[in-house]
Amino acid sequence: MSDETENRDMLICRCEEVTLGEILDAIDDGFVTVKDVKRATRAGMGLCQGRSCSRTIARIISQRTGKPLDEVLPKSYRYPVRPEKMSAALSEESEDESDS
Amino acid sequence: MGKALDVVVVGGGIIGLASGYFLTRNGKRVAVLDKGGFADGASGACDDMILFQSKKPGINLELTFESLELYKRLIVDFDDSMQFKNLGGMVLIENGEELAIMEQFVKEQRSYGLDVELIDQKDARKKQPFLSDHIIASTYSMMDSQIDPFHVMRAFEKQGSALGMQIIRRNGVIAIERLGNANWKVITADGTAYEAPAVVNAAGAWAPSIATMVGAVVPIVPKRGQIVLSERIPPIGETNLWNAKYLVTKLHKGSAVTLSAEEVELGLSLAFTRSAGGTYLMGSTREYVGYDKSTTIAGIKGIINLTLGYLPKMKDVGIVRAMAGLRPETPDGKMILGEHAGLDGFYTAAGHEGDGIALAPITAKLLSDLVCGNRIERTLDELSPNRFGEATNE
Repeated sequence: MSDETENRDMLICRCEEVTLGEILDAIDDGFVTVKDVKRATRAGMGLCQGRSCSRTIARIISQRTGKPLDEVLPKSYRYPVRPEKMSAALSEESEDESDS
Repeated sequence: MGKALDVVVVGGGIIGLASGYFLTRNGKRVAVLDKGGFADGASGACDDMILFQSKKPGINLELTFESLELYKRLIVDFDDSMQFKNLGGMVLIENGEELAIMEQFVKEQRSYGLDVELIDQKDARKKQPFLSDHIIASTYSMMDSQIDPFHVMRAFEKQGSALGMQIIRRNGVIAIERLGNANWKVITADGTAYEAPAVVNAAGAWAPSIATMVGAVVPIVPKRGQIVLSERIPPIGETNLWNAKYLVTKLHKGSAVTLSAEEVELGLSLAFTRSAGGTYLMGSTREYVGYDKSTTIAGIKGIINLTLGYLPKMKDVGIVRAMAGLRPETPDGKMILGEHAGLDGFYTAAGHEGDGIALAPITAKLLSDLVCGNRIERTLDELSPNRFGEATNE
């Protein structure tokens, strides 16, 4: 990312309006996974829950730190995988694996 | 071989980071160690409340007052609002039985200096136009405040780091040994040894396993709290909301107020709070499921049902996410703070259950004063790790 200084204002997370500059600063502060960056900057916390930006953020982290992509990407996704009305969620079938 | 340090803090949640910051500010060389990433534990899966109204008169209420004052000072020191807000809170009352118990509770809290009052249905609806018709009254306190946990943790980290605090993540503690020179040696998964005369166990729900490494006992049990997040919507009312029902059953064991089977099984009670991101956090469950942090469909549905009972209009609002955190619960509902008997320099600061965000600054300040040998105005016997007698780790 050679010309990053010119692109620092570029929006990476559109939902929460987080810029490339904010993400780079977080990485330099030691937040080096997609989840770390999310919690430090709110990138990926909005309506789409990182479905648009998390791979981009993973690549930015990977390029800046040299870590492989699979080390910086989240390991799991959980319900709900997309926004759902509260009333609709009530008709969701129970498939809890962890229920004892 | 060890790195020259004064204090090793085990646990990098809000308590560990706050403690690290206060110790560093007091001139200590500090390393904070965490097995996970940033805000991976309960501190990143919770609401953001500095909540007064849920507290019985006593040390927890007193410490919340002190913690709020500390937050206000930190906001000035850091020149950072950390999204602090003072929206006030209401505890919703559904029937005469709840009202009678809440009247008494509010009276006790008022005598303790909490600015709280009962308001009738009409005034409740003025503050919360979308309340269900069956709400007959409510408490109201303008003191209930909130601050964004992620923002607070990043601020403690940034300010501490600027003064030399080290933070090491994704590298859990696997052993703690006592050395001949009275130092502790803390060994992490990658084999690094950190030596210091003081160790602070700030591992939250995992504090018992850290204590076991030095033969100490910390009777904390993980209690799972699930929370559902709404999409971003405009404010639907002035305040944050809780329900009296659960509180009342805790205050008066034999009262006529009863919980449904679902509420009992999931430990459900309403907490409806507006987050820093303009979404609503809806909670919560209280479940004893060991260290299982998963969210469940049953938990999510339970929370939605509960919320719609108080705010029916929310049915058309979207949910975007659910999360779960393990609240570290102690037998008497008070945190554990202090040095362990017979283990010079080994301290625990854990067991805040649902009050870690609210109580982090005062916990960290008191802990730092203990470690540094500073004068402390109050007695902390009530919080001592030695108060449990012959307790054993589960």
